Amino acid sequence: MKKKLALLIFAIVIIGGIIGYNYLYQDHREIATEEPIAELTSESILEIFRQEDSSEILNATVTVKGKISEINETSITLDDKVSGSFSEIPGDMAIGMEVEIKGRCIGYDDLFELVKMDQCTILNN
Amino acid sequence: MKKIFFLISALVLILGPLHAQEKLKTKSGTITFEASVPSFEEVKATHQNVSAILNTSNGEFAALALVKGFRFKVALMEEHFNENYMESSTYPKAVFKGIIADFDIEDLKDKPSKYTIKGSITLHGETRDLNEPVQIWKEEDKIVVTTNFKLNPEDFNIKIPAVVSKKIAEDVDVAAKFNLQN
Repeated sequence: MKKKLALLIFAIVIIGGIIGYNYLYQDHREIATEEPIAELTSESILEIFRQEDSSEILNATVTVKGKISEINETSITLDDKVSGSFSEIPGDMAIGMEVEIKGRCIGYDDLFELVKMDQCTILNN
Repeated sequence: MKKIFFLISALVLILGPLHAQEKLKTKSGTITFEASVPSFEEVKATHQNVSAILNTSNGEFAALALVKGFRFKVALMEEHFNENYMESSTYPKAVFKGIIADFDIEDLKDKPSKYTIKGSITLHGETRDLNEPVQIWKEEDKIVVTTNFKLNPEDFNIKIPAVVSKKIAEDVDVAAKFNLQN
């Protein structure tokens, strides 16, 4: 009987430990595989931040279509209206190309007057 | 002859300041902060998409970080940082605006020179003065600005609950680097 009780307590501790560990060390969101909540253009996403309430798309995964206006080491800017950061910029990107990017919208940048996104990926055009 | 000379000097005087009023910028500056306490979980986050603009004619400098862009190793820590401490849905931005004292682009070298930046930092809806040393140097077509300083969350009305306060350092070490170019 005592043995059974000890075993039970042991099992509870282990299971509790696993649940606790999984809660504390849960995985990061995977933006690349998340379903986007909105399909936008560089124009329409900027408009959301300029006029409407942006709380719905803030921190959400969205896709944005536009023409590449700037490329630097870690980010691509579309039509000077949206800037998205990538862990790695695909090699075949060029200024003037029409692309659709998917990423997490992190807010509006007053300095450059554009919307910023991170963890972006390029969707196949 | 004198007239031509006068004309040229007049042109230089007019165009000179225009040329010098160049703005150097970046959309991918980095800010890292760390508030780790030895023998506890590392409390550290990095932001790689910080915007910054330097006006090389007068040393004015501005930087903006969208708070949601800070990435932690531990997802739950990132969530708590955004929801409980920085309240990034209400206060989405951290902004610095200031001026680099005695800045002259002609003085910059390939090695870091020390300057002082004076201005104000706004985050979590609170604004505080900031007066910190910065290092600036030239690197090819870029001007690099780096700085290290400490911030105290309490100054910005960020309350750390007693339960976790032992695991988070009182002073937060902040390091920033901006590769500014045209």
